[in-house]
Amino acid sequence: MMTHTRALVRSAAVVGIALAMLGLASCGDDDDTSGSTDTGSTDLPAIKIAHQAFGESEILAHVYGGVLEAEGYDVSYQSFKDRAAIYTALESGDANLVPDYAASALEFLNGNAGEASPDVDATVAALETQLAKKDLAAGAASGAVDSNSLVVTKATAEAGTTKISDLTEDAILGGPQDCPSNAGCIPALKSTYGIDLSAKFVPLDLGGPLTKAALEKGDIDVAVIFSTDSSIADKGWTVLEDDKGIFNADNVIPVGAAKLFSEASFTALLDGASKALTTENLTEMNKRFDVDKEDAEVIAKDFISENDLG
Amino acid sequence: MIDALRFIVDSTNWSGPNGIATRLGTHAWVSFTAIAAASVIAVPVGVWLGHIRRGRVLAISVANLTRAIPSFAILAFVVAAGGGIGFIPTWTAMVALAIPPLFVGALVGVAEVDDSVIDAARGMGMRPLQILTSAELPLAMPLMMSGLRVAVGQVIATATLGAFVGYNTLGRFITVGRANRDNPMLYGGVVLIVAMALIVDGALRLVGRKSLRWRQDPS
Repeated sequence: MMTHTRALVRSAAVVGIALAMLGLASCGDDDDTSGSTDTGSTDLPAIKIAHQAFGESEILAHVYGGVLEAEGYDVSYQSFKDRAAIYTALESGDANLVPDYAASALEFLNGNAGEASPDVDATVAALETQLAKKDLAAGAASGAVDSNSLVVTKATAEAGTTKISDLTEDAILGGPQDCPSNAGCIPALKSTYGIDLSAKFVPLDLGGPLTKAALEKGDIDVAVIFSTDSSIADKGWTVLEDDKGIFNADNVIPVGAAKLFSEASFTALLDGASKALTTENLTEMNKRFDVDKEDAEVIAKDFISENDLG
Repeated sequence: MIDALRFIVDSTNWSGPNGIATRLGTHAWVSFTAIAAASVIAVPVGVWLGHIRRGRVLAISVANLTRAIPSFAILAFVVAAGGGIGFIPTWTAMVALAIPPLFVGALVGVAEVDDSVIDAARGMGMRPLQILTSAELPLAMPLMMSGLRVAVGQVIATATLGAFVGYNTLGRFITVGRANRDNPMLYGGVVLIVAMALIVDGALRLVGRKSLRWRQDPS
């Protein structure tokens, strides 16, 4: 008898635990749509932030994530190699939020249809249309613009190359691996400036250490580096003037699951963070990451407290 | 798959600094120099340890442990340690990758030579160096060759990673193909690397068999 009772108790406990786990799982999955006023943290959807594998993306992920965490959201972070990997994760649900750049995201999603422009509002409107097709949505665009920029060494600039139209097809361009198909990169140079740099293009990284090392060493003549990159000033490099206007409205914008953005309180939190971001403070945060080797999470926390976002 | 082959046979994809010819050359160059350097380091030590027949278990354990170090970690370490980008980090990682199989092949090959053979050689009046060159090394050849083939196969396959540290290897067809959603280029790169590994392995097997013809000789 004794053993029977024990076995019963044990199996009841197992069933109980299993049910509890199921309950938790369903909380995480469907609560996004509930109109519940309960502010308990278990009610808030789990936020899985994806970011690209470079400092600024990681910092921005922690800025948006930190603001959400302060309100009790459960936030996790994951780094991805490039935008293609991130949108695959967004569609599969492995991630549900990403700090992205309006124009680049738009041109990625529309298959480089050329809809992005230096006009932020038009670019964001077109982006939202594209996102809706994948059950995704975006918050408000921030004032921080991180566009691609073409950078040359001081010596090259002093030799007379100061704007993009000064470039010739002999120039060796180095930059991100997706430059040959990224609308803001080689295709734009070809269509607007009539300069085809694809033949000698050196595929390196996204504004990262390989690209900067290659420019410094002279392996490449022109580097694709972000306009908010602190090392430009650090090394005395020159950003080539975009005299025909190819660099689009790459304003920082949070993109994620449409379900999340249907909650006004969620969107308001992200918009508050976006409002506080500027190109200048983003460059400053990048400098702390790249030059001072500080942690992205620490930098983002300081930003949140300095701007009273938390 | 058909697109991959089409990518490879398209002659416009062979020329220029980003063409198949250039990248094949770079890939072959870093693989060859790394294997050569690794052989110079690993084979004499392996042969010597096999010859003196001491510390064999320990040496093999250490060699096999180093195989657990990922090549990618070595690449990242060399770049971070100021080794620059391109050839140097790729080459260093490939040398480290090639040493264990070459070393183990040489050590085990020499150490496994039957004692009776060495006794016989000594009985014929051979001096230690003669025993090594005339008895031990020829008998160790099959295992040394298989060590070489393992090393070459791994290095050719792994030199692909050079693309991550700014080196113009065949791996760039994979990274660039993926980043630009150009599947023919991606799969074309994969096919090229596999084909290169298979062809070189086949050639080494042939060389190995030719050089060991005397073993099949019944007389």
